[in-house]
Amino acid sequence: MSKDVSLMHTLWTKISAVLPKDEEKFPLPFGAVVESSVVEMLRRSRCQLYSDTTSASRMLTAKILLDFSWEKLNTGTWRHVDKEWRRVYSYGCLFKVAALCCGDPSAEDVLEALRTCDMGLLMGAAIMEDILQVIVRILQGEVRKSTKEEDSEHPQLKRIKMEHVPVIREEVAIPRVKRPSLESFNTNYLLPLKPLILEGTIEHWPALNQHPWSIEYLRSVAGCRTVPVEVGSRYTDEGWSQTLLTVNEFIDRYILNKDGVKGSGYLAQHQLFDQIPELKADIRPPDYCCLGEGDEEDITVNAWFGPGGTVSPLHQDPQQNFLAQVVGSKYIRLYSPEDTDKLYPHQSQLLHNTSQVDVENPDTERFPEFAKAPYLECVLQPGDVLFIPVQHWHYVRSLELSFSVSFWWS
Amino acid sequence: MRWFGFGFNAFGQIYGQDKLLEGECFENEQEVKVSSPTELTAQEDRSDCRLKTDCQIRASWSRRASLYLNGDSCVCLSGFISNESCGNPVKESRGCKDAIISESYLTLAFSDRLESWDLQKKETSPSWSMEIKTDPEISGTPLNLPLVPGGYIATKTPFYRSLSPHLRAKSLALSSEHAILLSASGTVYTWGLGSHGQLGHGVLTPEEEPRAVEALWGLPMSCVATGGWHSVCISDGGDLYVWGWNESGQLGLPSQGLRKATQQESSQQQEESPCRDASTSTAEEPQEGETHEEVFISIQAFPALLDITPLCEVSTVSCGCRHTAAVTTTGDLYTWGWGDYGQLGHQTLISSDEPQRVELFKEQQMRVVDVVCGAWNTFASVVKEEVAGP
Repeated sequence: MSKDVSLMHTLWTKISAVLPKDEEKFPLPFGAVVESSVVEMLRRSRCQLYSDTTSASRMLTAKILLDFSWEKLNTGTWRHVDKEWRRVYSYGCLFKVAALCCGDPSAEDVLEALRTCDMGLLMGAAIMEDILQVIVRILQGEVRKSTKEEDSEHPQLKRIKMEHVPVIREEVAIPRVKRPSLESFNTNYLLPLKPLILEGTIEHWPALNQHPWSIEYLRSVAGCRTVPVEVGSRYTDEGWSQTLLTVNEFIDRYILNKDGVKGSGYLAQHQLFDQIPELKADIRPPDYCCLGEGDEEDITVNAWFGPGGTVSPLHQDPQQNFLAQVVGSKYIRLYSPEDTDKLYPHQSQLLHNTSQVDVENPDTERFPEFAKAPYLECVLQPGDVLFIPVQHWHYVRSLELSFSVSFWWS
Repeated sequence: MRWFGFGFNAFGQIYGQDKLLEGECFENEQEVKVSSPTELTAQEDRSDCRLKTDCQIRASWSRRASLYLNGDSCVCLSGFISNESCGNPVKESRGCKDAIISESYLTLAFSDRLESWDLQKKETSPSWSMEIKTDPEISGTPLNLPLVPGGYIATKTPFYRSLSPHLRAKSLALSSEHAILLSASGTVYTWGLGSHGQLGHGVLTPEEEPRAVEALWGLPMSCVATGGWHSVCISDGGDLYVWGWNESGQLGLPSQGLRKATQQESSQQQEESPCRDASTSTAEEPQEGETHEEVFISIQAFPALLDITPLCEVSTVSCGCRHTAAVTTTGDLYTWGWGDYGQLGHQTLISSDEPQRVELFKEQQMRVVDVVCGAWNTFASVVKEEVAGP
């Protein structure tokens, strides 16, 4: 065990090295939103960081900060949560990580610390020059060192499950153009808001070249990272919920079905690339986004990773979308916003951007007009980028293991 | 009357204040998490306050206020006292009739005025004040903080909010997100944010104005209380109704979140998002999931009757952020919900989705007469149990 002990001492040394040298240099800048009692608790945690207090005491103070800020994060709407509370939450995560890693952390402690960093990255806001991101990298290094290479249980991943593949009718096929010029795309598709599949525009992505994305690659880059996963067949269903899993757990449970769990899981609509910079380096925002009014920083990039059979019900978004297909294929159907009256959107405020109709199995009695709505469709393949104009209704079903990246821009 | 407290004590708001220097807090588990009911003692040097007289308790997250209302009334504060805050007993509170405390403000009601004092600053005048007009037209509205003539005092600015006289408000409970009002006729009104079902109208949308909880129509209520994301009320007949978020079992209904947490799985965190707006899984109905043939409730959007014990009626109830405490007519205290800091008083740190009696009071033959919850703690007042005559 002595080898492990020396490894762990190195771990705390590495983490201390990225923390401020002493209490005085450790910033706790908070405005009026954060009550002085909470600031006092933060100061107590900071003090403990540089003193001899037990891990238990440090964990307790960190827990108080996490519990209090968690309540604030759940108060009101997420959009309106004051950033200060998200920063308090991140500080709570930082102090908890320190409590776990000082002294002699076990392998479980290190994984718990990793998970804690991820919780801070997912729910908190950047503190101390994104220190949680820095620490996550250190912790990942430790986990990799102490994990033996798993025996190559090469499960058949390529075409584990091929869902029913619809035949695309020529008349309703979304047009395809290979590497259109900026000008012709702008004139013929963006301005008139017409859907298009752009071919040959992401061939240069490292995700399709130097680091082809695969299950193995994702495990190696992000296996122990915690991500939000949608569980249940589709977000309009009663049993739908979100949970947090490591990428390894997600792959094992919902892609490889290792523990025979019923129901589907989808790593959907998550800004994975902000959380895991190594993956961000494998993709590029499409050049065509420059035709919009916003800056590159304003582009929202989401990951969509899951097994065959995941469904996004017919819905519309308030921005332009480039949907880049990296791994696997998806069946996609598009309806124009002009035909919204035939698509029966939900009445509730929560789901007003979502249609009530199950596109591939519509209830013709409840939704008689739906059959009359014109549409376009495609099977999106690796290397394709689908332009979904703003407010265009879209329905997506993965036909096999799939990884897409969406770019929302204006 | 004696008071006992249990739960969160990091700032000495239950006991041990004298061990802490100004602005300090406890850092070891036994002192921070008081899991067994502990008697409140008045601090030694508070000779100003009549220690023997009955007092009322108000509690926020980091503090406890003791209201001494007989004769020479005043408020004494325990818990987080920093350099900047007012002295103790709060000299500005002399002669007050009622008080409420939030994390930032101590609001005092006098016979002719209201004052809110900022607890984070040392100031010589209140942050806000208002005259109380003894107008015969609205004198019917009782002073029952946070209710004041013509309206109520909110937890943040603007402090004074008006209420329609049609509501005939008798009592009011506020959380940071929602409000529940009890009218003179026993009708319950709710308003505020509703994303966790805490308004009881069967939907998750907010209400800007007080709206009657129709499901309780025809059932006069006598007491209302709010937690962080849940609501509770007691009917004239002593039945308890609950609704809102049940992620820690605070409704006393089966909670999947609780079972998952005890199984050491990650807790569910829900985010809003532009495309899916999926902050909840179903729009209009109580959310249920089935595991092992048990039905779990994570959001209860309509009031549900909670049977604490078939034997007796509930006389009063109070809620912390994520826990609930109820006193029965037989003098027992039942608690349920989040228990991480010992606020359920069962000598453990376990959360529970089933109401359980706080046994210590029974064992010591004490009759619980009142309960008041702070955010993460619980205070109960007791009298000696009368021994039944032969």
